[in-house]
Amino acid sequence: MTLTTSKDIAVRMSGLSMSFGPTRALDGAELALRRGTVHALLGGNGSGKSTAIKILAGVYEADAGRIEAGGQTHDTADWSAAEARAAGIRFVHQDLGLFDQLSIAENLALDAGYPTAPGGRIRWKQLEQQVAGLLERFEIDAHPRQPVGSLRPAQRTMVAIARALQDDTGEAVLVLDEPTATLPAHESELLLASIRRRADNGQTIMMVSHRMAEVLSVCDDFTVFRDGHTVATLTSDDAAPTEEQLINLMTGRALGGALVHDTAAQVRERVHTGEVALAVRGLVGGPLKGVDLTVRPGEIVGVTGLVGSGRTSLLKTVFGDHPPAAGTIEIGGRAQSGGEDIRDRMDQGVAYVSEDRVGESSFASLTLRENLSVSVLGSFWRPRGMALAEERRTAADLVRRHAVKTAGIEAGFTSLSGGNQQKAVLGRWLRREPTLLLLDEPTQGVDVMSRKDIYDTVRESAAKGCAVVVASSDFVELAALCDRVVVLADGVVATELSGAQLTPDHLTALTQSSSTSTGAM
Amino acid sequence: MSEQQTTTEVAVDEQPAAAPAGRASHRSWRTLAENNALLGLLILIGAFFALLPKSRDVFLSPENVAVLLGNQATVALLALAAIIPLISGYFDFSVGANAALSTVITAGMMSFHHLNAMVAILIAVTISSLIGLVNGILVTRFGLNAFVTTLGMATLLGGVIQWYTGGQTILKDISVKLINFGSINIAGIPQVVYVVLVVAAILWYVLTHTPFGRSLYAIGANPRAARLVGVRSDRYVAISFVMAGAIAGLTGVIQLARVGSATADSGNTLLFPALAAAFLGATAVRPGFFNVVGTLIGVLFVSVAVSGLTLAGADAWVSPVFNGAALLVAVGLSSWLGRHRNAT
Repeated sequence: MTLTTSKDIAVRMSGLSMSFGPTRALDGAELALRRGTVHALLGGNGSGKSTAIKILAGVYEADAGRIEAGGQTHDTADWSAAEARAAGIRFVHQDLGLFDQLSIAENLALDAGYPTAPGGRIRWKQLEQQVAGLLERFEIDAHPRQPVGSLRPAQRTMVAIARALQDDTGEAVLVLDEPTATLPAHESELLLASIRRRADNGQTIMMVSHRMAEVLSVCDDFTVFRDGHTVATLTSDDAAPTEEQLINLMTGRALGGALVHDTAAQVRERVHTGEVALAVRGLVGGPLKGVDLTVRPGEIVGVTGLVGSGRTSLLKTVFGDHPPAAGTIEIGGRAQSGGEDIRDRMDQGVAYVSEDRVGESSFASLTLRENLSVSVLGSFWRPRGMALAEERRTAADLVRRHAVKTAGIEAGFTSLSGGNQQKAVLGRWLRREPTLLLLDEPTQGVDVMSRKDIYDTVRESAAKGCAVVVASSDFVELAALCDRVVVLADGVVATELSGAQLTPDHLTALTQSSSTSTGAM
Repeated sequence: MSEQQTTTEVAVDEQPAAAPAGRASHRSWRTLAENNALLGLLILIGAFFALLPKSRDVFLSPENVAVLLGNQATVALLALAAIIPLISGYFDFSVGANAALSTVITAGMMSFHHLNAMVAILIAVTISSLIGLVNGILVTRFGLNAFVTTLGMATLLGGVIQWYTGGQTILKDISVKLINFGSINIAGIPQVVYVVLVVAAILWYVLTHTPFGRSLYAIGANPRAARLVGVRSDRYVAISFVMAGAIAGLTGVIQLARVGSATADSGNTLLFPALAAAFLGATAVRPGFFNVVGTLIGVLFVSVAVSGLTLAGADAWVSPVFNGAALLVAVGLSSWLGRHRNAT
């Protein structure tokens, strides 16, 4: 388990333990990065890998453990963000934190400081020269004055990497959190090639990625976390692992190869049986590249896939937020022209709960009653005005039916907890008695009790004949709630799971492996 | 953490009678005070000038009240025009210039083209509505910033007014009927005040008692969320600009009726007091939201103070200082109260 190699270790974390309340996120995990290698940190959702990275960054303080870096050994209690920086550990997060409208030079200078002349004047020439040198060193084919927004996606990531390493003398350890998650395939390849070349020049790099093919193509060493433990550490001295081995390590059991790839037979079997609430054929638009999906009344269908796989796009396109570029949508047997807006789709019985509660569902300055009524305003209108008494009565009914905990229907919406806001948003849509309910991450940031209420409500609606589509990255949720789950990858339905096969472990395995083709493209 | 949260929620739920009731009565008392603060201040200031020896003889005299109300009719109408787009979060700086344009067009149609007053008014209000439509389309369809768009429109209209009038005041051939309409009192109150009340009543109904009005408030609260509950935001916002334009057009007509002539004015002298009243109004009745009744109180608040100060013999600089300070205090207070309200 521990590294016995004689090669220089840049960072070693050992005996890492950390609990969040009753949940043990890390339990004696270890991780050792060898100098000049690309190291993959792998694990499913909740395996503890993000916690480990946050501990390394000094964001979390571990309950126990040691961190060796920069030639010194620290107890995790003494570790901080400043220590991490001093030890030469640099992070590039999935959200790159670049200012699109500013030039590359300005983006870099905002981090490292502008070179100034006496009186505070910026020495632009000097800055541009510095940045030009840096861009050359990082093989970024761009001018320092070019705005970051005009760069290709892979170049943007490289600029973020250059920013993180601009004061580096070759000793720094670069940590990349899902660097390719939002990149299209060819951009990923470009970025990975750059990363590989940096490692060949002696840079130590650790990356977290869910794309197995990429990890296998670029990484030397692998550490796999599961349930807060380090279950495997493979170095380039060992035989190169296969994708299946890594997935088995992540899920903790051997999954049959047949299961991972072929469920097409089941898909075919389910099509054309009974009524159809939603039929999507060859849907193209944004990240979607030809999605087929059929949902029947009373069915709860899950949609999952990695970040950027198009879960949200699929739901929003069906809801009429934007028209599809190609493909057909049928709702309740009615073919859609594609020109319908949200109101038109709502009139056909479609409802959509966004994943972004604060940004896309909440009317923060309005009351709970107004938040509940906003989807059915027309129904309260009489020639003598809005039927306020009826509006209040129905709002109170909804609060009771959906167990929304509040001081009253006239309470400000922001006075409700996240879970209760989400129940109210769900109530806002269910009062329309939809025939097709689209839920995007319905329990994100929702506490356990409200989560149960929401599941009960969704199941009840399905039992009444409503077709439900749940987009989620929470595999436990999908396994618990859905009749079947489709996995999106590369803009198409890669595979489908149902029945006994619908388990969080299988979903983890399929979501990871379905991205194989991404790297191969 | 989440478990703890749940426990406290349950605890509150178990005693629905005791705790929330006490809190509710406390809250409703504060809300009542907050909602009516501006009205209370208005009455206070009115009482002050009614009692002040220097102003008491004239201040509450029917003549003074009539002049006061009549002179504020145009400001009130323009403020009502401005709040419609403001509710959904869009500034309309062009209502002042739009009203000024309507004044010169109404006058010009009668003076230059010898049209009947009714026809002239119709043409002017139609043009003003179309200007609102252009604003609305630029802001929604082309996604231009409303602040800049309407500022540009206001400047442009100012130029058009100069061109149309040649910089001259239009005096000739203004319909006598129209001028009479502007000067006659009914029950001691100028006729134009009734126009304001009718417009205010219609607007109050539209904004608070129709799905359209409620949707405007929803757009103002969260445009993205409003779109995702099926509010056709672009259309509604465009309509709100058209309504603002139409009311601005009517304001221009009333202005002509009051003054009897049309000067080549840019309309800014009306715009600033109107915007001030709109923002003052957003601190009253339904604090945090632009609303019709609050706006009317805002207009009265400013005019009563100005009238009283003038009668009391205050220097000319006192009124604008008072108005500006009142606006700053009211807006500052309401945003402070708003933060306080959200914190509890």
